[in-house]
Amino acid sequence: MANPLVPGLLRDHLSELASRDERVDGRSQWAGRELSIEVNPLPNAEGSAKVTMGDTIVYAGIKFQLQTPYPDRPDQGGLMTSAELRPVAGRHFEPGPPSPESIELGRVVDRGIRESGCIDVNDLCIIPGEKVWQVIIDCFAISDDGNLFDAFGLAAIIALKNATIPAERFDIGEDRKLPLTKMPIMCSYHKVGGRFVYDANREEEVGGDERIHITLGDDGHVHSLQKGLKGVFTASEFDEIMTVAQQRVTELKEIINNL
Amino acid sequence: MKMGGYGDVQMIDENGKRVDGRGPGDLRPIEIEVGVVPVADGSASIRWGANYAIATVYGPMEAHPRKISRQERAVLDVRYNMAPFSTTDRMRPGFNRRSREIGKVTSDALESVVQLELYPRSKIRVEIEILCAEAGTRCVGLTAASVALADAGIPMTDMVVSVASGKINGVVVCDLNKEEDNFGEADLPMGVLPNTGELVFLQMDGDLSQDEFQQAWDYNVEAAQEVHKVMVAALAKRYGGVQ
Amino acid sequence: MGQDGGSDESGSDCEVKLVTPGESLGPAGDRTLGHGVGRRGDSLIATRLGYVTEKGSEVTVMPVKTAYMPRPGDLVVGYIEGMRANIWFIDIGAPFNAILPMSLAPGKVDFGATRDAMDVGTTILCRVQEVDESHSSVVTMKGMGLRKLNSGFVDQIPPHLNALVIGSKGTMIQMLKEESDCRIIVGQNGRLWIEGEPEGVRLVRDALEIVRETGHAPGLLDRIKGLF
Repeated sequence: MANPLVPGLLRDHLSELASRDERVDGRSQWAGRELSIEVNPLPNAEGSAKVTMGDTIVYAGIKFQLQTPYPDRPDQGGLMTSAELRPVAGRHFEPGPPSPESIELGRVVDRGIRESGCIDVNDLCIIPGEKVWQVIIDCFAISDDGNLFDAFGLAAIIALKNATIPAERFDIGEDRKLPLTKMPIMCSYHKVGGRFVYDANREEEVGGDERIHITLGDDGHVHSLQKGLKGVFTASEFDEIMTVAQQRVTELKEIINNL
Repeated sequence: MKMGGYGDVQMIDENGKRVDGRGPGDLRPIEIEVGVVPVADGSASIRWGANYAIATVYGPMEAHPRKISRQERAVLDVRYNMAPFSTTDRMRPGFNRRSREIGKVTSDALESVVQLELYPRSKIRVEIEILCAEAGTRCVGLTAASVALADAGIPMTDMVVSVASGKINGVVVCDLNKEEDNFGEADLPMGVLPNTGELVFLQMDGDLSQDEFQQAWDYNVEAAQEVHKVMVAALAKRYGGVQ
Repeated sequence: MGQDGGSDESGSDCEVKLVTPGESLGPAGDRTLGHGVGRRGDSLIATRLGYVTEKGSEVTVMPVKTAYMPRPGDLVVGYIEGMRANIWFIDIGAPFNAILPMSLAPGKVDFGATRDAMDVGTTILCRVQEVDESHSSVVTMKGMGLRKLNSGFVDQIPPHLNALVIGSKGTMIQMLKEESDCRIIVGQNGRLWIEGEPEGVRLVRDALEIVRETGHAPGLLDRIKGLF
């Protein structure tokens, strides 16, 4: 993600809209875009999901590998999250090493999953000190129209929820479902035209300012927070965000459980 | 394509029926959808057997960095990539020689048909992503790219269609699947221009007699016509109009 | 690309034949090659995905999508991407940027003062002055109405749909202006500058979305009228 050119008029227009409680695509402040989810669309992954939010389309795939555990944690498996923003997904691509933005994207998504402890790493142990499972989540964007954070987060957790440990392929016993201890869900809020909105599309991201990513688990427990980019926000702005995030997470859990 | 030693894996019976039920000249099922990536200038997805690939096109646009731009024509900037979850054993993201090679031969094939001289000093990006791999991915990618280029309105003298035939248990067959590709004796992928029969892409691995080679060649050319029909139908579905 | 673009907003029901690149359009005979048409031996072929039309002896393919190719005289909305001491580089949505030399800027600009006059990200209304053989274009801001755009909003449609937005004899654009109570300038490069109350801008943007999604299907005028 290179630094996009921000035509000056876009920012002014977004401010104008915000002052009238409007957004570029007509949504209300906390409304998300049209959401659709496909479970296990990728047969070669051990669990997968496709998430579409407006024109943003992403996949997440789960792969299991065997590894030797770290010496100081001999009976714990590993978890790795990789988030790729490849040129297929957008016009705004520069060749070369991953940009700071795309590195941050990967780390924010990883933190959202890892810090929740939704995967019991002890359960991934096969032979203590010798062999453990490593769970790898690969998030892959094919169409970037903004808010890859939430799209990746959602795809990742749905893929995990539908993942099967491929023990048979490695001759280590029977296949079994990967147990999840909780379901962390990320909600991202961008400051656009001077106020925070939920599920920013690309126009809003490009013309907007700082952002906040909140991952909530079960019963509103907070698992990770990240503020991105320059800018300030007030305690009351944050309170409002936390309230709407809790509502949204409840809605999303409902949707996921009914898949 | 594994060399030798697997001739004893039975993949085709006395009646010419293959493990997946196909006859020697049959293609795997193919589905093509156009315009699947809303933010791209052109895009297409292909399900071919268990393969699932997406190609997007951006451009023509300013050729950055400057050093790749050419004064008299556009450049094609083609990338071929396999997603980490596309294969049974995870593919590590990052530089991959095979992907780099496939990107290059794909680019050469497409350059034979795209009218690059209409957009001097600019570039056209073609991005091929394999989301699920099951033999013949380079053919699937090249075919998807052709459809995506048409969708993007890029001028071409024809659309490239790519199919791979080969040999299993001594029998020449069309459109190798995964086992046939792994345990077979030859692999011949080709890129064909359906309106003239000309070739823009050709590779071969294995062992084929002259007759067998001709048979595999003929299978590819015939199959290309069938695949072309699917491509045209997919474009017609997207854009309406009488076909 | 033809200006009149075969716009169908009158609701005509003629069948259009979609052709794909490489498809034969029959023997050349004494027909002439228009846009999107090539020759292969004695036959004519389509070189673009689009709809084939024959006007007199000329065969043309109207592409489903096309990049904006600048021509002298085009009015365009551009964004300043960069500058040197005496020129600006303008993104006009074409395959390559245009240049705006200091001498053609609005008012008087001193050498080296380009950034102070107009910085990166500025939106401008300019006119294509000339295009050379390698399709490099020079734009000018000296002329009636050409200026920096300091307010309003720019939306984008594929340039080949411009004719649909304008409508035959300007009926569509006139209706949009009246119903939305907005000032609208249609750039040849598919960029439209819109200025007015947010509700009006919203209305125009919704109309453009309809053009984008269903432009070529007959009955466009009715669909847009349905917004008001």
